[in-house]
Parts: sequence; structure tokens; C-alpha cells
Amino acid sequence: MAQSFSTSGSVPGWARPAVAVGDFVVLAGETFAAVFRRPFAWRELLDQIWFVARVSIVPTIMLSIPYTVLIVFTLNVVLLDVGAGDLSGAGAALASVTQVGPVVTAIVVSGAGATAMCADLGARTIRDEIDAMTVMGVNPIQALVVPRVIAATFVALMLYSVVAVVGLAGSYVFVVFVQHVTPGAFVAGLTLLTGLPQVIVSLGKALLFGLSAGLIACYKGLSVGGGPTSVGTAVNETVVFSFMALFLINILATAFGVKVAP
Amino acid sequence: MTTGARQRGTALSRLVAGTRRIGEQTVFYGTALASTGDAVRRYPAEVLRLIAVMGMGTGALAVIGGTVVIIGFLTLSTGALIAVQGYNTLSNVGIEALTGFLSAFLNVRFIAPSTAGLALAATIGAGATAQIGAMRINEEIDALEVMSIRAITYLASTRIVAGVLVVIPLYTVAVLASFLATRLGTTFVYGQSRGVYDHYFSTFLQPMDLMWSFVAALGMAAAVMTIHTYYGFTATGGPAGVGEAVGRAVRTSVTATVFVLLTITLAVYGQSGNFHLSG
Repeated sequence: MAQSFSTSGSVPGWARPAVAVGDFVVLAGETFAAVFRRPFAWRELLDQIWFVARVSIVPTIMLSIPYTVLIVFTLNVVLLDVGAGDLSGAGAALASVTQVGPVVTAIVVSGAGATAMCADLGARTIRDEIDAMTVMGVNPIQALVVPRVIAATFVALMLYSVVAVVGLAGSYVFVVFVQHVTPGAFVAGLTLLTGLPQVIVSLGKALLFGLSAGLIACYKGLSVGGGPTSVGTAVNETVVFSFMALFLINILATAFGVKVAP
Repeated sequence: MTTGARQRGTALSRLVAGTRRIGEQTVFYGTALASTGDAVRRYPAEVLRLIAVMGMGTGALAVIGGTVVIIGFLTLSTGALIAVQGYNTLSNVGIEALTGFLSAFLNVRFIAPSTAGLALAATIGAGATAQIGAMRINEEIDALEVMSIRAITYLASTRIVAGVLVVIPLYTVAVLASFLATRLGTTFVYGQSRGVYDHYFSTFLQPMDLMWSFVAALGMAAAVMTIHTYYGFTATGGPAGVGEAVGRAVRTSVTATVFVLLTITLAVYGQSGNFHLSG
């Protein structure tokens, strides 16, 4: 698989993006195939889960509270104007469970976890450590990529729960103590528009986000080529491409979600 | 030394290091922002070159159309999100005619600025960290200082000016893309009549809200460029260190953009809300 990343030197410039897409699909396929192959890299998996969780938890809390407060504040401007402040709980739940939760998870996993993963793998690639592993008969996909992708997916699932709970708690404090909405009415409104089906669809979204961010980070990290600017550029491209993938997945999954769980 | 004493020692040294880092950042931000005037006066050619580079992006990002296309794509998808989620939620209670109102209200006040902030951090911000970080580890910044060129002014302040200027056309594209996506999603995909949509959209679209939305975008651009140039400027540890610096910078600046937006939103709309249902 190391060869598949080096062929792009011989193709004309206009075809490079196609080669990159092809390489990415190859990497994704090999990763899914390697998940079921023994031996499974348990130690690396635990290390990566701990690592991604450690770099993600503070940005998650720092992002989920202001995002939810912002959207709840904006919605409440309308709700209080028409005298429906008691319904602000419904808006807060809809915002934090269906949109803010998955999107903040996506931003944190790609902005904090995937960038660090890409920098780590990129550093190993330019020091030829990946080639050395291949020479020693260790499959880098199985030893490095599989645990990272699984770790990103697992942590995204866990983080989604944190974001939803922290967001709801933050909006409760903001709405009740700052905007003086009755606490009972706020809590009663929470389940008006949002229920178990929405939570399940959002968990599915978070899973897809983690998977795609992990795969993009590993692909960009393994395809780094020479030069001191290369790792920085690769991390930059990881952020951009994973944000684009995340927003695309979000719109498709939301359209799917409103059909199956209206 | 006992374990407890050693732990206390590391905790103390970590506190000292943290405090020092805060001080260094403050000095850097102050110097970089204070020298923006100098940057425009002394290096206008560099500022113009950076504006051109930031608009188009570099490397693989230029192939897919540069920063304009990336920001347009992101706000296009969040605008379409308003159409999908908003139209369906509103039709649950039978008022789907008000999707145009949601577009004029939520896109301007929340969705477009927050998406644009993320996109700025990911594109021009992360790009600046990668460039300056590469210069730092190649000792090009030291070379600049030896030639008695003020490095912070030449590298950081020019990028802050260029970032704030380039965000004006970029944010225009972002807002238009979000409006367009919501309108197309509601009228073409869900089949609402265009007259109904346009009526509620233009009734509730307030020019002052758009102005404040622009102010928020400018503030976020300044914050993003200051943070990202700092992390590039202080990158250490070879090519891998540049990659880590880019990651840390993205993490910090994404958080900073949300706080800038929250502060401006609460400051502008906190008292009155600037919203009148009855016109």
C-alpha cells in the first residue's frame, strides 16, 4: 500500500485530485478489511482513545456551552417577543440534541483529534518510519490506521453525549437565571420536539463524523511527501477536507433523519 | 525528594510556564495589533500579495477552487440545513410558510457568522500557521531579524491586515450562499411557492442585522489571524512541530471565534433583541 501513495508523481497535474480520491478509497477499503484481521492492535487502540479524549474534552466543553447559549438566545428573542418563552426548552433541546451536539463533536474531533493524528503520522512518514515498518513485515494499516480510525469513531460517540448534556445544562442556567424563564416550563418543553429517535439519528451522525475525520487524518498523514512545509500543509488540508466532509454528511444525515424520525 | 514534593515542584513549574506563556501571548498580540499601521505603511506590496494568496489558497486547496469555494461550500451546506431542519420542524406545527423568516433571522445572526468563523480558522488561519511555522524552523525568521526587519510586523501584522480585508468579499459570498441554499432547498426541493418564501424573507431581513453580522465576521477574522500567526511564530521541533502547532492553533481559534460571536451577539441584541414581529 506504500506504493499507492507514491504514484501521483507521474500523472499530469489535472488528474492529481482523481488520484488522491482513488488513494483515499483504497486506504478506506484496506482499513475496513484490516479491522477483522488478527492480531488486533489493542494497546495502540487504548492509547489513541485516551489521547483523542484528552485533547478533545476541554475544547468540547468550551465550544458546546457558547454554541448552545448563542442559538438559545437567538431563538428566545423570537419566542419572548411572541410571548412563548415557556417553549424555550423545546428550542434548546432541538438545537443541542439534533444540531449543536453532532456539529460540535465533528468540529472538535476534526479540529483537535484529527489534526494531532495527522501531525503524528506525517512526522513518522517523513522520517521513513512507515516504510521501516513495512520492511519489517508490520502492516502499518493494521498497526496504526485501524486503531486511530476506531478511536476517533468511539470518542466521537462518547463526546456527542457530553456535548448534548453540557449544552442542555448550559442553556438551562442561561435561560433560567439570565432570561428568567420558569424552570419547570423549560424542563417540560425539552421533550416536546425531541425524543429517542432524534437522539439515535444524532448518534449515527456522530459515528459517521468520527469515522470520516479519522480516515481523512490517516490518509493525509500517510501521504505526506518531503520538505519542512509538508506536515503543516497536510494538517491544514486535513482540517479543511474533514470540515467539508462533515458539513456534507450533516446535511445528508439531517435530510435522512427528518424522514425517518419526524 | 519525596513523591509529593516532586509533584508539587512540577505543578509549580507548570504554573510558572503557563503564566509565562500567557504573558508571551499577550505581548505578541499587543505588538502584532499595534504594528498593523506600520505594516500597511511599510509593506503594502506584501499585504497585497497575501490578500491574493489568501483568496486563492495554496497547494491542494487551490486545486478545488481556493478559500472562496471552501467558505461558499460550507455556508451553502449550513443554509441548506436550515431548509431541511427548519421546514420540517415548522411544518410539524403547520407554519412552514415561515421558513423564509428563519433564513432571514438565523442565517444572518448565527449560522453564517459561526460557519464563516470555522472556515476562516481552517483555511487562511491554518495556512498562515503552516507558512510561518515552516519559516521559523528553517530559521528564516531569525534571518529576517538579523537583517533588522521587524519580524512580527512583516509576518504577523501584514497577515492580520490581509485577513481582515480579505474577509469582506469572502463573507459576502458566505452570506449569499447561505441565503441561496435555504431558498433553493425550500422552493425547489420542498416545493413551497417562491412568493410566500420571498415575502417572509424580505419582511424579516433587517439591514442592521447584516451590518452587525459583518462586524462579527471582521472581529473573528482578526482573532483567527492573531492566534494563528502566534502559533506559527512559536513553532518548534522540526516539520512535525509545525503540524502540531497547526493543530493547537485550530483548536484555540475555533473556540475564540465562538466567544467573539457570543460577545458581539449578547452586546448588540442583549437588551432589546432588535426584533419586532408586528413590523
